[in-house]
Amino acid sequence: MVFEKIRGIIAEQLGIDAESITMDTDFKNDLKADSLDLFQVINDIEEEYDVTIDDAEGLVTVGDAVRYVESAKK
Amino acid sequence: MSICHLLNLRHPIIQGGMAGISDAGLAAAVSEAGGLGTIAAGNFTPDIVVAQVRKARKLTDKPFAVNIMMLSPYAEDVISAVIDERVPVIISGAGAPSGLASRCKEKGIKYLAVVPSVAIARRMEKSGADAVIAEGMEAGGHIGKITTMCLVPQVADAVSVPVVAAGGIADGRGMAAAFMLGAQGVQIGTRFLAAKECPIHQNYKDKVLKAKDIDTEVTGSITGHPVRALRNKLTALFLAAEKEELGKDEPDVKRVEAVGAGALRKAVVDGDTEYGTLMAGQIAGLVRIEQTCEEIIKEIAGQYSELLK
Repeated sequence: MVFEKIRGIIAEQLGIDAESITMDTDFKNDLKADSLDLFQVINDIEEEYDVTIDDAEGLVTVGDAVRYVESAKK
Repeated sequence: MSICHLLNLRHPIIQGGMAGISDAGLAAAVSEAGGLGTIAAGNFTPDIVVAQVRKARKLTDKPFAVNIMMLSPYAEDVISAVIDERVPVIISGAGAPSGLASRCKEKGIKYLAVVPSVAIARRMEKSGADAVIAEGMEAGGHIGKITTMCLVPQVADAVSVPVVAAGGIADGRGMAAAFMLGAQGVQIGTRFLAAKECPIHQNYKDKVLKAKDIDTEVTGSITGHPVRALRNKLTALFLAAEKEELGKDEPDVKRVEAVGAGALRKAVVDGDTEYGTLMAGQIAGLVRIEQTCEEIIKEIAGQYSELLK
């Protein structure tokens, strides 16, 4: 499932437990991810799914990223 | 394609955009000397930026750039205004809206993006940037987390567009080193702070000239937008506020941001070296004398070619 995979990407990049990440987790406020980390995560997601995420600033929560990938893959 | 060919320059030396500092006069002087001068849009409104662009055009017929800092509330409007003006080069800093590269291409404008990491460099290349400026955290002003020494070769390996190195470069040795790391050009800010044509208050300039290697501090890390500047009473206030807020369960980032409000203007215009933001890079210690832009570029380019003989 997309969520599990993205959760794994985020957990690895930020060095945190995957279990602590939910669809509602906020990149900036909950994970304290700075823009460098966020773009690294986006880069990894893009490569994993072969999609292009144009509106990086629009990704606020993990769920935003999951929904973006799911609709892009359709 | 080399940077000189891409941007039509004599020397692959870009004067870094310095918010509130690098104006048409400085940019034109650098461009006249064979480098690429840069007008910094900073937090200026579009009409001010356009006036600077027109002024630069009167002062030089050589190419120059406008650096647009995306954290500015006017960034979008400034982008539209300078694209309409068909400035020769646009440089984006602290992010870039999607579609900027193609809008530039339509008008024949070259587009360069300042990048603090490999992932962002690749992103900018994909979006259509003509070159990327890999800026290390030795630089003054807004900075990333990685040093120039580590960032430049990794970015050079990751992208196929030309890479310009920035952060910590102030002479021909730094330029030669950057080329060894895979860069095809350099962006230099701090050395041009001390240029005769640089419009900052003399007090600020004197502080840069007197600065030693260890004299800069990084403030604002808590806000997510760290800034490097020369140590003074303001940076001490900043660091104290940050320390205090970091100790709280709910840090008040806005309170830390408020410490720096209006402080750049205090330094640049009023010459307040105690409570103004004296943005400068770690290489300030190497900058010892005030010179014209022409002298600076000649000296750097001369030393560079001498070293690479």
